[in-house]
Amino acid sequence: MLPPALLFVALGLALGFAPRRAWLPSVLALLLTLAALTLMHAPPGLANTVFAGCWISVIATAASVHLKRELPLWAAVAFSVNVGVWAAAVVSVSGSRYDLLKALPCVSIFLPASLLVARRASIPVKVVSSWVIAIAALAATLQLLPVTPGYLPDHLE
Amino acid sequence: MGTGLPGGFVSGLRHPFSGIDHLLAMISVGLWGAFLGRPLIYALPVVFPAMMVVGAILGMFVVPLPSVELGIALSVVVLGGCIALSVRAPVWAASIIVAVFAVFHGYAHGKELPSAADPVSYSAGFVLATGLLHVAGICLGLLNDLPNGVVATRSMGAVIATVGIGLLYRAIGL
Repeated sequence: MLPPALLFVALGLALGFAPRRAWLPSVLALLLTLAALTLMHAPPGLANTVFAGCWISVIATAASVHLKRELPLWAAVAFSVNVGVWAAAVVSVSGSRYDLLKALPCVSIFLPASLLVARRASIPVKVVSSWVIAIAALAATLQLLPVTPGYLPDHLE
Repeated sequence: MGTGLPGGFVSGLRHPFSGIDHLLAMISVGLWGAFLGRPLIYALPVVFPAMMVVGAILGMFVVPLPSVELGIALSVVVLGGCIALSVRAPVWAASIIVAVFAVFHGYAHGKELPSAADPVSYSAGFVLATGLLHVAGICLGLLNDLPNGVVATRSMGAVIATVGIGLLYRAIGL
């Protein structure tokens, strides 16, 4: 459940810096992408590629909070579609669709994030975003090591 | 069935609280950031995890890094000392100091990471715990706004630096 949850948290943090009019189209784009893709199955052999795409998306989405300007509508929708694609893909190769349902509420972090941004107190949002980036970077690196990267069953499971 | 190895989110979350060196250094980063004000109040807690990841990657690939324990102990002394002496370092200098020490802390964590069961959750736990300790330091820094608050925070820095000197002696092996 952690990879989709991190994707949704990263998206929520990014949406905190988007204008209000971008929220509905973005959330709809996310839900439609998830609904369209959760019925598809990625080949299990692509697990490492899918997870690499997931971690890169987490980093790129979370890093968008450091943009100088507010996130434009098109970028917010594009991030939502991208997050939907990778979230559906990761649960398809590891985990269950139920994990998506459990992780989806993480997107709602955009509500407190946007409140803080509106009050010119974006510091906590940027700090949390740096944590998310750090976790994703570590997870991505673990894939390059000859260890069980956590999302795969180990030899005792 | 588990592997018997320490691991998972809760284990990662607990880890930074289990060692006084890491704990004091993380709190000091937040406290010094609060002392220095904007932009370092948020720049330092952003720089730290970014560079901690660099250190963790070096640790995961077992790239030799000299005297990690010494670097960690030194981080407690220097950061505590900066708070105690109310050092108003420029943005670039404070960022470099914190970045260098973050590499040592990340290295120590990163070396343990591959042997943890479920390392992804473990890393999520310890990054979150590290961040929460920075926030705790920033909250302690709010004392600066109270009468005599600066004396209280500088005293905390002095205590941290003193503990750091003890850690330094241990790391050197005296």
